[in-house]
Amino acid sequence: MEGRTGDDSHLVDRLRRGDPGAFEDLVIAYQHRVFSVALRMLGSRAEAEDLAQEVFVRVHGAIAEFRGDAKLSTWLYTIASRLCLNRLASSERRMIREGEETLTRLASSHASPAAELERSELETALHRAIAELPEERRIVVVLRDLEGLSYEEIAAALELELGTVRSRLHRARMDLKEKLERFLP
Amino acid sequence: MTCHEARELLSALVDDALGAAERDALDAHLAACVDCRRDLQRVRDTVALLRAVEPARAPAGFVDRVLEATRPASWPRRLLRALFFPWPVKLPVEAAAVVLVTVGVVYLYQATPELQQAARLESPAPTVAEAPRAATPQPSERSFEKKDAPAPSRARAENVQRPTDSRDTSGDTEQRRDRQNFQRDAEPAPSAGTVAGGKTEAPPARSGRVLETRESQAPAAPESAADALKARRQAATPPTAASFAPPDVSGGLAVNDRDAALRALAELVARLGGVEDRRHSGPEGSIVELTIPREAYAEFARELARLGRWQPTREPTELPARVRIGLRITG
Repeated sequence: MEGRTGDDSHLVDRLRRGDPGAFEDLVIAYQHRVFSVALRMLGSRAEAEDLAQEVFVRVHGAIAEFRGDAKLSTWLYTIASRLCLNRLASSERRMIREGEETLTRLASSHASPAAELERSELETALHRAIAELPEERRIVVVLRDLEGLSYEEIAAALELELGTVRSRLHRARMDLKEKLERFLP
Repeated sequence: MTCHEARELLSALVDDALGAAERDALDAHLAACVDCRRDLQRVRDTVALLRAVEPARAPAGFVDRVLEATRPASWPRRLLRALFFPWPVKLPVEAAAVVLVTVGVVYLYQATPELQQAARLESPAPTVAEAPRAATPQPSERSFEKKDAPAPSRARAENVQRPTDSRDTSGDTEQRRDRQNFQRDAEPAPSAGTVAGGKTEAPPARSGRVLETRESQAPAAPESAADALKARRQAATPPTAASFAPPDVSGGLAVNDRDAALRALAELVARLGGVEDRRHSGPEGSIVELTIPREAYAEFARELARLGRWQPTREPTELPARVRIGLRITG
């Protein structure tokens, strides 16, 4: 992601100039990363797609306000993270979670039963372990270990102190280490 | 450093996110603690597992759906851009278009009452037999007119001597505007140059009896309907009635005594070398069509204003050599 800074600055320039194709290029470049964050946080592909779409709609409406102080990718992760946490915190979402198992939905969200069967036990265990993390730890480990953001970028995206980021990441990894113990060499 | 303190830093050590002092202290502890070194390796393995997770991919068609979702929000901006940019080109063009539309609307607004007036003046369908009678007044009428109507020379003298402030005595803004319009239109006439400024004072009209020309008109009709009506009337009248075309000048004359005004009008027409083509009288007023030489029109208009409240509704700047005039006399 750090290697994309040059590309992002060019993309930001095009977006500010009102280049009609720039926003489409932005969506193409970041669709998978935004969707991935949403999926890891929400556990449902349908819900993740809905949230990822909302992220880009917000970006489209606020692109003129993007000052370029942070990287474009960090800005996108900021919006995605906040929307995920807001949705998880909503009363509607909590009622859904009480009625069904998040990991079951995550596992059944894949395309076909055959593909589902091919998923390895490790992959299932990984998704289960991530999904069982508390939300504030889950978002940190998703941004760091799955999306590759630096501590500073995570602190900026979540508006946290660096020490808090480090502490939450440590707790998250310790939880995951215990749950994935049998898969470790 | 205790093992508990060391384990708190293992995650940050994996990310190389420790300060120099913390790093030195942790390295010293790890060098001496086998359990913590094992824990460090477990953390490294766990992080390696996480980073090996295959990234999720957005579903097919996601980009199209996002673009579709953002399209409604962007149309006002596209509309504004299409309307105003580039503004150095489009704003002057739009301003010129507004001016043209405004001029067109004003022109149509002014043209419509003229069409209505033309249709109204033809509606009485006067008989041809009345024309000779109107053109040659009876001797008794002529003597009466001589007694009441001012002599031409006296009228001209009064027109010259009467100051322009006589216009202010009327207090009628519309009448004043009509007079000014007439003055402007009459200036090209050869005989009007010296007396154009001497406006005659209209006698006080009884407003309750004055029939406003526009109020008495038929409801507005489209131009095509007016033309069709005119064509039907021309087809229904004898071929000798060639003068049924709209008159060159038309208007309303509100007077106190209609009969006296008609007599004075006949005298005036005869004196100016004109001819009264036809006359039709009804309970609401009299319609008189007459023709006078163009050179005499200015004086005719001044004398008309002396007879009553003269309100021209059609008075073009360019007049033909023989000016056909249609009058609606009420009172």
